[in-house]
Amino acid sequence: MFRISTSFFILLLILVVAFASGANADEAANIEFFEKKIRPVLVEHCYECHSSSSKAIKGELRLDTRETIRKGGESGAGIVPGDLEQSSIIAALKFDSVEMPPKGKLSESVIADFEKWISDGAVDPREAESAPAQASKPQIDWNVAMAFWSFQQPKRHDSPFLESNQWIQRPIDAFISAKLESEGLYPNDAADRRTLLRRASIDLIGLPPTEQEMQSFVQDESPTAYQDRVDQLLSSARFGERWARVWLDVARYAEDQAHIVGDDKSLFFPNAYLYRNWVVRAFNLDMPYDQFVRLQLAADLMSPDDREHWVALGFIGLGPKYYRRNAPDVMAEEWEDRVDTVTRGLLGVTVACARCHDHKYDPFPTEDYYALAGVFAGTEMLNMPLDESVEAKDGHAKDPDKSMHVIRDQKPRDIKVMIRGNVENEGELVERGFPRVLTGGEKITFKNGSGRLDLANAIASPNNPLTARVIVNRVWGQYFGKPLVGTPSNFGKLGERPSHPELLDDLSVRFMQNGWSLKWLHREIVLSATYQQSSTIDFEKQESDPANQWLWRAHRRRLSVEAWRDSLLVASGAIDYSFAKGSIQASKATEVRRTLYSSISRFQLDPLLVLFDFPDPNAHSERRSLTTTPLQKLFAMNSDFMLRQAEQLVDRLMNLNVSTNEDRIRNAYASIYSRNPDQEELLLGMDFLKEGSDEKRQWTKYLQALLASNELLIMD
Amino acid sequence: MDPAHFSRRQMLHSCGAGFGTLGWMGAMASNGLADVDSGGALPIGIPHFPARAKRVVFLFMNGAPSHVDTFDPKPLLAKHEGEQPSGKLYRESKGSGYMPSPFRFQPFGESGLVMSELLPNMSRHADDLCVIRSMHTDVPNHEPGLLMMNCGHLQPVRPSLGSWMSYGLGSENQNLPSFVVLSPGRPVVGPQLWSNSFLPGQYQGTSVDTNDLDVDRMVSNIRHPLLGRVEQRQQLDLLQAMNRKHMQARENDAVFDEQIRAMELAFQMQSEVREAFDVATESKETREMYGETPFSNSCLIARRLLESGVRMVQVYYVTSKNKQPWDTHSDNDNQHRKLCADSDRATAALLTDLKQRGMLDDTLVIWGGEFGRTPYSEINKKSEKAKPGRDHHHTGFSMALAGGGIRGGLTYGATDEFGMNAVEDRVHVHDLHATILHLMGLDHQRLTYRYSGRDFRLTDVHGRVVKELFT
Repeated sequence: MFRISTSFFILLLILVVAFASGANADEAANIEFFEKKIRPVLVEHCYECHSSSSKAIKGELRLDTRETIRKGGESGAGIVPGDLEQSSIIAALKFDSVEMPPKGKLSESVIADFEKWISDGAVDPREAESAPAQASKPQIDWNVAMAFWSFQQPKRHDSPFLESNQWIQRPIDAFISAKLESEGLYPNDAADRRTLLRRASIDLIGLPPTEQEMQSFVQDESPTAYQDRVDQLLSSARFGERWARVWLDVARYAEDQAHIVGDDKSLFFPNAYLYRNWVVRAFNLDMPYDQFVRLQLAADLMSPDDREHWVALGFIGLGPKYYRRNAPDVMAEEWEDRVDTVTRGLLGVTVACARCHDHKYDPFPTEDYYALAGVFAGTEMLNMPLDESVEAKDGHAKDPDKSMHVIRDQKPRDIKVMIRGNVENEGELVERGFPRVLTGGEKITFKNGSGRLDLANAIASPNNPLTARVIVNRVWGQYFGKPLVGTPSNFGKLGERPSHPELLDDLSVRFMQNGWSLKWLHREIVLSATYQQSSTIDFEKQESDPANQWLWRAHRRRLSVEAWRDSLLVASGAIDYSFAKGSIQASKATEVRRTLYSSISRFQLDPLLVLFDFPDPNAHSERRSLTTTPLQKLFAMNSDFMLRQAEQLVDRLMNLNVSTNEDRIRNAYASIYSRNPDQEELLLGMDFLKEGSDEKRQWTKYLQALLASNELLIMD
Repeated sequence: MDPAHFSRRQMLHSCGAGFGTLGWMGAMASNGLADVDSGGALPIGIPHFPARAKRVVFLFMNGAPSHVDTFDPKPLLAKHEGEQPSGKLYRESKGSGYMPSPFRFQPFGESGLVMSELLPNMSRHADDLCVIRSMHTDVPNHEPGLLMMNCGHLQPVRPSLGSWMSYGLGSENQNLPSFVVLSPGRPVVGPQLWSNSFLPGQYQGTSVDTNDLDVDRMVSNIRHPLLGRVEQRQQLDLLQAMNRKHMQARENDAVFDEQIRAMELAFQMQSEVREAFDVATESKETREMYGETPFSNSCLIARRLLESGVRMVQVYYVTSKNKQPWDTHSDNDNQHRKLCADSDRATAALLTDLKQRGMLDDTLVIWGGEFGRTPYSEINKKSEKAKPGRDHHHTGFSMALAGGGIRGGLTYGATDEFGMNAVEDRVHVHDLHATILHLMGLDHQRLTYRYSGRDFRLTDVHGRVVKELFT
């Protein structure tokens, strides 16, 4: 034994020297030979039964390291470098002794490759990287794992005591202020009233205030003027329409599939909008977030006799269906989508990484992945008849147009680990259950049906360290541009750490204590002094904190595509607020409903949405990127949609009971910017309108320019 | 400055200061407005090592061309005609056994590269072409096959080759997209094939329907519906005056300048884009050389775009009525005659044209489909017995490459004597991807993007750079 390992060591030394000096090209060629001709065969034909990842190692033979392939197994030494006779593998490959691989003899050329390899010294660069057998797979120390910040329960924190601090309006402000102070910074002054109302309005309902609303707020001397406006906005029916979209990004909401085979639309979701509208209503009604989550995973199991909320199951039921579905490898892909959406979307952890191997950074062994995938393996996607009149077979509506798209339990089952994600390489059976690091180290298994309700309860639990934090962080990110945790769907090791950990925890705990009320959370944020700051950029503060990480100012933002398009429709007067059936094409010039109601395609997204950073609905979106491109400007300059809005506004202004261009300009500014033009702007406009012979054409040009401006696009 | 030559430090610096490279692809919004998307590193814009090719044109024969009728002669098929193939088949043979190619093969050029008579024009470029005969992929179905060939994965939600390239190398001409897809009709699968997926939106392929050569219809929003250039300029002057006034009240914030510059660029781009796509200015001889089919027009537009600095152009061989013309389940021979006649002429014209302009040396040309076709026949109910077809075939097929650092005249790898399986120097699609990226100066193992907690690659955990193909 000693001698063998010594010779290994020497061989290794030779290799190292060979590589280091670059002198020995043969060695490199031999390694290349191994990599090209030998390793692929071993992996493909042998590892299933003869490697550390095999469920049972056959014949005590492992072929996945240099050491073990030489040591061999029951039949003697696997290989002896330079000696074909003594290498039991060769006899097995030739079917002279045992017959390997059992599925059929490999081709002569492959066997010849093995002979050449062994004759040439069997150069094998494989270190014992995968040496530990399954039994000694590194065990996770759960106490250590759970000590990571995001796996610990969030706690209340007393707001830092800042007696003399007049600035503080809500508990949030104390945390922000303390951090600013420690960084040698101080908050901006409050924004002026016009800026503030525009900001709050766009943030809360996705629409700018009207000029009348602006006027009334500016003149309101009541000490509760701002709070009153915030409460009005929170109770507006438009609120749910604004915030539903945030959720739909999380839920990778879409109405069709990435694949269309021929004209086959049978996998599409013609009534997906019912789920979208349910989300709008849930937000408007301020449904507690824990209930909101539970219903989306298990509404049917929570209330088997009352179908009111079953459409919420679209959260899973509108997921991607892939080509060749029902084939095992394709279903494995679909389960990954479900696990990914649930874990990143609701828990901020990347459990899908553990599909092929234990998570490399976070304490999620492969078993955790399959424990969750098993839940979805026991369900099926269902087009449920909308009512009893709809023809159905085994519960599936024959006509998808007359159904809602949900899931239901099938035969519950546990599934086996797929080693390296390979459906044909099965490992041990895993009981359905919840990742251990999220349950205080306790192993919780799911026994009821598919396990969906158990899963829903495990997520929507005050004891779950992540659920509240993740949604609080998402909401925060919408208001301040950057969430407290910069990677809102990854609270793991590779994710960012919270900029204000105590604030995040305190807010999360109070959110739960306030009945998981999202409106409470919005109000808490919008009424804070932190939120009400001006966005003015002070050069010195900018130098010290260029990214505004510590929130010394409000965050100036380009509007989302939804808020921008809706603002244009408000300005032109064309907007239609009806809460109607179906969906619209956002880029179509004549469409006047809110952008939320856009048809969302996995196959081909509407071009307007694509231009303005709408996320790919094929998968959960962590957060939107924000780009500035000339293509966006080409849309603003040349699209039928923009021209149409300008023309609509021209018609409106021409029909008003005013006669001078000056008055019309004032009206245009009120419609588009909710303010009056100043003298310079008036002159600029009147000069421009003097040009040209066609008054209406000139006005159209003028108004299109106003609509395409930065003032409408960017919010202070 | 050519963005490809930005140093990483310059890149980081310019982004941090709020002035990302701004062009068709735009700037990631920066300081003040938003943070760069949390996933992965910044767009790189810097090759990992010196590139042999500066641009790629991928001519995609939708439906999968037959290797045994084009680049991979199998005389033994005649001897064993009618015998059922042995061994494990993906699905049962539906035909009357092995079917020899009726087309004559012969060596061409000094290299003696062998091609069939279906490719008379391309055969004149034999010494520039390299044929890989040992391609293989994972499944013989169009959808996953197309996704594998374009995005390196059998299912959606992976960025495409062109998107990865744009991400890795940035744009050479800021007034044009770096990745353009020319498609006279819609290929099977569709936009997923040029999807940026989880890469930022500006890396998506810009798809253009080339059935109608009217530029205004090819490229959306490229012209104002009413206004000419002069009137539009007046309108923009007003707009920019208002934007500047708005900006003056908001000091120290780069976002406004970025928006203003994007608007100016858009105005300028209109003419450049229109020109790049407009084949009307080409000479009669050139038009004649390419031919006047949707595919050949696309090839000509491709050359114009490559010349103007587009990084990758993909031309899909589809028509407005047929999403996969090369899918010859019946009447394989006649279909291949027609298809090859069109494709051969246009491809050869493109090669000639690139060469004449001195662009072939640094332009990688790729010709092929998602897989090959069976060496045995397929006879289905629809097809007459006299007009057998060939079925999908993924375990061995051919692709042709030229230019961009490729060794011309080389035949690489081999299938077995029936053309059934790639047996010698096998090249998987992942290997092809690794090789293409390498030629473009990108290391497929280092071109990664962090998404969903993992560092993704085009080649996943696979891929071998086939250096034997290089000059």
